[in-house]
Amino acid sequence: MTGPRDLLGVLACAALLLQASPSAADAQETVKTVCAACHGADGNSTDPRYPKLAGMDQEYLMRQLKAFASGKRREETMSAIVAGIDPNDFSKLAGYYGKLKPAPGKVNDSRLAAKGKALYEDGNTDSGVPACTGCHQSDGQGNARFPRLAGQHQAYTLKQLNDYKSGRRATDPLMTTVGKRLTADEIKAVAEYVAGL
Amino acid sequence: MTRHWLGLPIATLACSLAIAGADASRTDWNAAYPEKTAVLGLHGDAGRGAEAFVICQGCHRVGALGRADGSYPRLAGQHASVLIKQLTDVRTGRRSNPKMLPFADHQVISIQEIADIAAYLQALPVPATQGQGAGNDLARGARLYRADCAVCHGAHGEGDADKFYPRVSGQHFKYLLRENQLIRDNKRRNANPEMIGAIKNYTDADIAAVADFMSRLPVEMVKQVP
Ligand code: HEC
Ligand code: HEC
Ligand code: HEC
Ligand code: HEC
Repeated sequence: MTGPRDLLGVLACAALLLQASPSAADAQETVKTVCAACHGADGNSTDPRYPKLAGMDQEYLMRQLKAFASGKRREETMSAIVAGIDPNDFSKLAGYYGKLKPAPGKVNDSRLAAKGKALYEDGNTDSGVPACTGCHQSDGQGNARFPRLAGQHQAYTLKQLNDYKSGRRATDPLMTTVGKRLTADEIKAVAEYVAGL
Repeated sequence: MTRHWLGLPIATLACSLAIAGADASRTDWNAAYPEKTAVLGLHGDAGRGAEAFVICQGCHRVGALGRADGSYPRLAGQHASVLIKQLTDVRTGRRSNPKMLPFADHQVISIQEIADIAAYLQALPVPATQGQGAGNDLARGARLYRADCAVCHGAHGEGDADKFYPRVSGQHFKYLLRENQLIRDNKRRNANPEMIGAIKNYTDADIAAVADFMSRLPVEMVKQVP
């Protein structure tokens, strides 16, 4: 089902690739000297405060780097990091991490995860939380439009949902609504569940 | 994979305006307003509609089959005209739906996407798996439906695309029940005044019986739009 939108996408990507090709090596250098300290050289950070980036969609990661730069996503650490990076390098960095193989996460509390699974697959009809599966798919593997959630650190997912709720992360009106409708208990449960996907 | 639904002729709109105009003392349930007129004039593309519908399926479910608990209606097989009217009514404050609005509002769905989604939904299959009532008062339900409702919603619950009358066959019992109540009690602001007249003297038992009967109308009697 190739539509005009897909074609435009392909053209845009081709343009970006042409621009980016000379310095894939520089991206690797930046990853080694800057990003790896937190996100790991293989994109699978071990510190739960830092998200795993391996296997996440390149377009999604690029949007986030731009959002840190513009302040739509308010977070001191990453804002400081992107301030020191040429925005022309964002796509290379995103591409680098996007190609890495994601490592699985680990569920620590299976009862909590079971509650999270119910919310993930069914939503909450009373408060109007849609099922997460609707957008993120049942396996949480992600795509350009809806990011990968599978295997992510609990602490990171929890913080993001709270940030959507509070408005610190104003990158997307849909997730802002979802965040505002989630309770603290639901956030804990669903973060536990997606870690095991 | 472009599927065009026959764009509703402007004549249809003019026609329904004339009907509404003849009864101007009542609420203008289907008055023209810019957004609705604009969407009705667009060609919907079902392929693009399938993509745009992804953000709706967390509630309306995959295949737009809704939920038997009535929280979210089925949209599959509904007339494109009806879907467009209901969506633009919600977006412009004519029908309230605070749960849904942030997912269907202007900053997330364009008017072209509304036309696309309507084309996609209209052509979806309607399996006979909808929620039904208790089945203990069907004779009354049938009598009431034939006397008061079939004139608009059709003998088989097929509705009328040109007149913006919803298809009701294949819909979940609990959703039908709630809408019957809301319309009777004057709480669905975009409701058709003639329909309010038809249902306003119904008791709760009448409402339940007619909703139960409607939830059992055979879905295969409605010709699916190709
Ligand atoms: C000092 C630690 C640190 C370093 C170094 C660092 N990051 Fe981050 N990064 C973070 C934290 C913390 C977050 C989570 C931000 C939040 O809570 O919103 C994050 C989030 C991100 C995200 C968003 C991920 C998502 O799933 O939305 C991207 C993309 C990212 N970092 C890329 C990079 C890149 C590329 C570099 C190297 C140029 C880098 N980071 C260096 C700490 C760091
Ligand atoms: C209507 C579609 C939709 C639904 C439903 C939805 N999401 Fe999202 N989600 C998105 C979009 C779009 C993004 C990317 C937003 C952005 O750019 O910040 C996102 C981002 C996220 C992120 C940030 C990921 C990261 O790496 O930083 C998390 C966590 C998340 N969603 C969890 C959930 C959970 C849990 C649910 C169910 C309770 C849910 N989402 C339901 C559309 C949706
Ligand atoms: C947060 C949940 C939620 C989401 C997401 C959602 N809806 Fe709805 N929708 C509802 C509810 C609840 C109703 C029924 C309202 C009522 O009872 O009056 C409804 C009703 C409708 C109706 C009216 C059906 C009828 O028979 O009159 C249409 C059309 C519709 N939705 C389309 C959509 C489309 C298209 C999207 C995505 C752009 C969407 N919805 C997203 C909750 C949702
Ligand atoms: C004069 C024509 C007319 C008659 C008679 C009529 N209806 Fe309706 N009905 C409508 C229209 C038009 C709508 C959609 C109103 C709108 O645009 O919001 C509707 C909506 C409904 C809905 C909501 C459907 C949905 O998908 O949201 C139900 C349920 C319903 N009618 C039941 C009945 C019942 C039961 C009767 C008989 C007691 C009846 N109607 C008689 C015209 C009629």
